[in-house]
Amino acid sequence: MTNIIVGVVIVSIIGLSIAKVICEKQKGVKCIGCPHAGSNNKKSNCSCNTAKLDR
Amino acid sequence: MASILVSEVMTGTYEFEDSGGDSVKNLSEAKVDVEYTIREIETNDNELKSFLFTLGCYEGETVTVISVLAENYVISVKDARYSIDWELAKAIIV
Amino acid sequence: MKIALTGNPNSGKTTMFNAITGKIEHVGNWAGVTIEKKEGDIKKNLNKTGIEITAVDLPGAYSMSPFTSEESITRDFVKNENPDVIINIVDATNLSRSLFFTTQLMELGIPVVVALNKSDLNEKKKTAINVKALSKALGCPVIKTISTKVSDNGLEALISKAVEVKGKSQTAPYDSKRIDFANAKAVEASDKKRYEFVNSIVSNVEDRKVSSNHQTKQDAADRILAHKWFGIPIFAAVMWAVFSISQTHLGPLLADTFAGWIDGLYAWTEGMLGEGVSPILSSLLLDGIIGGVGAVVGFLPLIMVLFFLLALLEDCGYMARVAVVMDRFFKRVGLSGKSIIPMVIGTGCAIPGIMATRTIKNERQRRTTAMLTPFMPCGAKLPVIALFAGTFFDDAAWVGTTMYFMGIAIIILGALIVVRITGEKNARSFFIMELPEYRFPSIKRATISMLSRGKAFIIKAGTIILLCNAAVQVMQTFNWQFQVVAEGAESTSILASIASPFAILLIPLGFGVWQLAAAAITGFIAKENVVGTLAVVYSITNFIDTEELALVSGGADVASVMGLTSVAALAYLMFNLFTPPCFAAIGAMNAEMEDRKWLWGGISFQFGMGYVVAFLTYQIGTLITTGSLGTGFITGFIAVAVMVGYVVHLVIKGNNKAQQKLKMSA
Repeated sequence: MTNIIVGVVIVSIIGLSIAKVICEKQKGVKCIGCPHAGSNNKKSNCSCNTAKLDR
Repeated sequence: MASILVSEVMTGTYEFEDSGGDSVKNLSEAKVDVEYTIREIETNDNELKSFLFTLGCYEGETVTVISVLAENYVISVKDARYSIDWELAKAIIV
Repeated sequence: MKIALTGNPNSGKTTMFNAITGKIEHVGNWAGVTIEKKEGDIKKNLNKTGIEITAVDLPGAYSMSPFTSEESITRDFVKNENPDVIINIVDATNLSRSLFFTTQLMELGIPVVVALNKSDLNEKKKTAINVKALSKALGCPVIKTISTKVSDNGLEALISKAVEVKGKSQTAPYDSKRIDFANAKAVEASDKKRYEFVNSIVSNVEDRKVSSNHQTKQDAADRILAHKWFGIPIFAAVMWAVFSISQTHLGPLLADTFAGWIDGLYAWTEGMLGEGVSPILSSLLLDGIIGGVGAVVGFLPLIMVLFFLLALLEDCGYMARVAVVMDRFFKRVGLSGKSIIPMVIGTGCAIPGIMATRTIKNERQRRTTAMLTPFMPCGAKLPVIALFAGTFFDDAAWVGTTMYFMGIAIIILGALIVVRITGEKNARSFFIMELPEYRFPSIKRATISMLSRGKAFIIKAGTIILLCNAAVQVMQTFNWQFQVVAEGAESTSILASIASPFAILLIPLGFGVWQLAAAAITGFIAKENVVGTLAVVYSITNFIDTEELALVSGGADVASVMGLTSVAALAYLMFNLFTPPCFAAIGAMNAEMEDRKWLWGGISFQFGMGYVVAFLTYQIGTLITTGSLGTGFITGFIAVAVMVGYVVHLVIKGNNKAQQKLKMSA
């Protein structure tokens, strides 16, 4: 019986953290838990298409 | 022809007033704490030139060398301090 | 309703953005911290209208004509996305430069409100600005603000003004519409006139008691802090002090208390589980999840102290001086002075650092910088440094300081090699950087920055680190037949059999055991995993001893469990720091380099560098300490010789290319 409870606890801990990872990834966070790792919050067309200026 | 001569003489005297008789040509030779008037930005790099322009570093504006650190020059343009390197200091003709 | 925050670099846009939206974006007292636009909703207590207002923070720009890509973000946003109102943040200490941009903004036909920011600094300098006259001359409202202050900062007035002007028309004080923009000469002439116009406004509204081109105490400080010879030793001393406080003194004190709680949690859980629970489940929960995550989180206090101190450094304006000091060395190796900014940002996290390379125009310099930035020890590497400094070197501050300067040295060496390989050593670059004024760092801002980074650290520990540790625990519990590994036969586990082939490669580096190899591999997912995995595979619950009130005072035990000499431990630490960064950072490298060849070249270079540095550290260190060479010297030497030989070959090829280029141009 205790085994089942412990198993459920472990599964729920892991499940929670997977859910958090998925949720962050969907927000477009590039590196979860990295300070200021740059998430373009809200819809934005990023700056990837800005013209490159090469000398 | 005559007008070019006049202008050269004029700038010559201007320099005289500014730098106390030194024949300072560009900012890398400039004296610290002396206000110079920029005559020209000498570079083929138009982007750099226009960038300097937006900082207020262009012909006719004044510039002061605040200190010389290793190979960098601290200059005062408008009301800000910038650190520029020797190559750039050479390109600013005063 | 959408408000765009625009202004010159380092005029305080992001500080204002944080103040009005309550967000915590990275701010620093130097130009070019923000490289991407950021959006946020304005706080309710500032916004009395009830309409939802979104503020957009844009990278700094000196003018509407784009010179760097972050300047073009600003221009494109303002031109294409039609914000309802533009708040132009003007540095009150530098009106004459800032208003140039203001007059350009006003031509766009979008209502502009000028926020005269940093007005507190002006009072100190006894410069007075006639706000009414300025507002009249510009034809737009001007509000005095001090966004670093909590109250009485003018922000509420600014927001309500912005709401008020929405949809209203303003007349640009200086109009260049009739000018043919294709004609460069005409544009230049027009811009000169614009400056003349700005100068005339400034002379009317500004009463400056002290001319700005006179020597100040700040300039005297610059001469010392950015001195030719003293600059680097001072920087080293500052970094040493940072590590000494965070790693040797204050940090461990806090860490002990904190580790006590984790220990308590461990003991409590153990008690709750009791005897009847299957050992597989209990070890997964205790050693895998609580132990592994706890080992990483145990370093949180150390890291928060460090982040706090680094935030103070960023805030006071010292970092711009470090850039000046470093420029000399960077220029010699073909990097631009701008390459320093990504590296300074990279001390927090390599990803924003790599993204900041966008500000570098020269393609080779940008790619080289993106490739080398991860060598700076980032926040995730700090627990690893702290662990090894604590376990093997008695919490010495020199370990962390040395790692920083090793990182810088490797970057310089790497840049030297890259510039030779590409054969572009004759390329010239100019360096210009605004020197912000020094200011007393704000404890509040540093605290906020520390807390937000601490929170991020915990989130990471609770997600990626937790999952990895659980996986590692499962993989070391079972063998490939999914049977529980018998005691004494640990090397048959899934984890061991995956890691062992790699471990063989690591023998010449002094740490060829599968446990350490496994930790290094999980480190590519996130560097903190090195600590977590070591805790799991050696079932060490806690690297921090709570009993003796000293960080890892049981260091000798931990060291003996791992079976490493101090030299090998140092080699292992360096291997983990100077190999490729985590996958997320590699992804960022890929995005900024935009070239497969460069990406793979960069990754191989990072691998090679980590291997060579660890090899040299271990072999030379062992030679010095024991008088004989370490294990696997010959094989390692051959491997290193092949790598170095290949790089030399590439360099020679690059030199030939450079000579051909010279001939072509001659």
